[in-house]
Amino acid sequence: MQASIETARAARRRFMFVGLLISVAVVFCLNIAMGSVNVPLPDVVRTIFGRQIESAVHESIIMRIRLPRTLATLAGGACLAISGLMLQIFFGNPIVEPYVLGISSGSIMFVSIVMLGGVTFGFNILSPLFMFIGSLIGALIVMLAVVFAAGKVKSIVTLLVIGIMIGFLAGSVRSILTAFADLETVGRLTLWTMGSFSGFTWQQVQILLAITGVFSLAAILMSKPLNALLLGEKYAVSMGVGIRFFRMAIIVIASVLTAALTAFAGPISFVGLAVPHMMRMGFKTADNRVLLPASILGGALMLSLCDLIARTVLAPRELAIGAITALVGAPLLIFMLVRRNNAL
Amino acid sequence: MSQTVMRTVDLKVGYGKRCVVDEVDIEALRGGMVCLLGPNGSGKSTILRTLSGMLSPVEGAVYIENINIQLLPKSSLARRMAVVLTDKLQPGLLTAFEIAAMGRHPYTGFFGKLKAHDREIVMDALTSVRAQELAHRYYNELSDGEKQKVMIARALAQEPELIVLDEPTSHLDISHRAEVIEVLARLCSEKGITIIMALHDIDLALKGCKTVLMIKNGEIIAQGPPEQIVREGIIQELYDISSARYDDLLCSLELGSYSQKSALFIIGGAGTGIPVFRALRRAGFGMDCGVLHQSDVDAHVARALCNHIVTEDDFQAISDENYDAACRLMQRHDVIIDTGFPAGATNARNMDMLRLALEKGKKVYTLRTKDSVHSPAGKQPIYCETVPELITALGDLC
Repeated sequence: MQASIETARAARRRFMFVGLLISVAVVFCLNIAMGSVNVPLPDVVRTIFGRQIESAVHESIIMRIRLPRTLATLAGGACLAISGLMLQIFFGNPIVEPYVLGISSGSIMFVSIVMLGGVTFGFNILSPLFMFIGSLIGALIVMLAVVFAAGKVKSIVTLLVIGIMIGFLAGSVRSILTAFADLETVGRLTLWTMGSFSGFTWQQVQILLAITGVFSLAAILMSKPLNALLLGEKYAVSMGVGIRFFRMAIIVIASVLTAALTAFAGPISFVGLAVPHMMRMGFKTADNRVLLPASILGGALMLSLCDLIARTVLAPRELAIGAITALVGAPLLIFMLVRRNNAL
Repeated sequence: MSQTVMRTVDLKVGYGKRCVVDEVDIEALRGGMVCLLGPNGSGKSTILRTLSGMLSPVEGAVYIENINIQLLPKSSLARRMAVVLTDKLQPGLLTAFEIAAMGRHPYTGFFGKLKAHDREIVMDALTSVRAQELAHRYYNELSDGEKQKVMIARALAQEPELIVLDEPTSHLDISHRAEVIEVLARLCSEKGITIIMALHDIDLALKGCKTVLMIKNGEIIAQGPPEQIVREGIIQELYDISSARYDDLLCSLELGSYSQKSALFIIGGAGTGIPVFRALRRAGFGMDCGVLHQSDVDAHVARALCNHIVTEDDFQAISDENYDAACRLMQRHDVIIDTGFPAGATNARNMDMLRLALEKGKKVYTLRTKDSVHSPAGKQPIYCETVPELITALGDLC
């Protein structure tokens, strides 16, 4: 009986993983094929595998615009999902994620300073690395502030309020800096703060992919202590987890992953909340050895799908991707908050 | 056999430099069960946290198998000692088996993969706390008692020498409390595991643990086997119980009264008095009582609940002196209650006293069956079948 239950669970997990992989592949191809100019699917596949296709225009669209953009959404989704999952374990609470906690807002605040301040201080070119560093500083500062606050007050509502307040703070810093900046930069910044993957350059994609790769791997390597942390810090320590280093590692990984995406695509809400939750429901487990890879795939799938919707649903107009993710995520957050209150 | 597993040397526990409990001198033998008793805030948890290495000692050291735990790497310590805390867990979708398997953390490889040997140990651990049938249920769906058993199984899966538990029976119903203590006692005797825990259940601690430490206001006031350290009134003193009385021999707590109505005189014995005392106390009556033999269970409860009692030495017939004292006490009351005690050679004079009360025209209520009181002509007691009936009758009287 015990063996049969376990075999059934393992089969379910394999089935889910295969399903996720196929879905990611399909959405990946659709993302490249669909848009203001539709590229035939066979051409898409050929281009991906490095073959020549007849239409030079199509090839150019794929290689210059759609492929980097799609790769960015895949990597970005993975970043947010992993960051969300790690924060949920860290705070022992299923309703936290980078956007809700204000970590994304912290990034915005510092990127605004870099973007607007950079212009006023005489920088003309915004180096992607520079934006990433600004974003990371903002994310880390907010993250440390939240960790400090979480040590003082245990209530999740307080954490949520802090997150919202940091959002306001970021908005106000932006408004003040806007007064000193020229119109073009302000326009670009406004577009960016709404969250968008348009105009992703290969250089940005490379940085994003590299960071996602390294830090997702680091997260997966931490599966075992992350599992122990599901029982709370005290138990984790009693089972031999070196908590100081481990805490720092979670903070850094979650902040870097959030910062990397926010630097280039702007703040994107609720992916970090919704994906781990859906994966837990789908895989029916909290085991991080399963959830971490699942969240990478799930996050990639969700964000690329949302980007596809944002681009195509009102084409040729493009919606802000944050609008689509929030449409899914905000009701989910409210639902979880309500249910949690009932449970307690 | 009696090998020391954990001992403390010149230990002062506390937070930072602030000492909470001084001179903590604990020695736990293999297979021993040490229990910390004391009121909330007395420093029990601080001691447990220090013993389990979560808190550094203010002074001194804790040794497990002669190694200072502060110098032991965390993972080595985890193979020797496991803890069960009071924290409520929200582990999400994990099965009882997966929770228990967390205990293998110090033994498994980088990704925590369980080998066949590990799975066996986890199942054995669940079986020894009688939770094997819960293995594949989700932890969140279990009752508090079942959850606690799973957490003990998790501790066992660490294959420790020593398990430290902080109030393992709180939030549990009485049958789960007894079960948890019984399971722990079995682990001690069968597996030779040493257990150190804090408990709030005085009776479970005194009945179930081999060694008891009593802690009050940051001081260990008594330490040793329960039979050695329990003396008259020590529990009362330990917890500063003012609104109730604790009987050390029976381990029972008698609640104090909230109001005083006129006092009644009760003649009882052999346990027939206890329900009457409790019900009358609840109804707010004051009580005097006589004559009871000193070790009669009724006497234990009467000492807690009655204002005045007259007692006789055990197994002695009631002496003239005590009989007269009881009669004088009885004369001061208008209402006398007979609990329906069995009468025999040593307490025959209690029946005499009952007849005397009737003769004197007192109002006598009895719980005996009708017409069983051999009473003087024309002077009948009032018969009540049950204690509630008696209380109602007395209520009408007032």
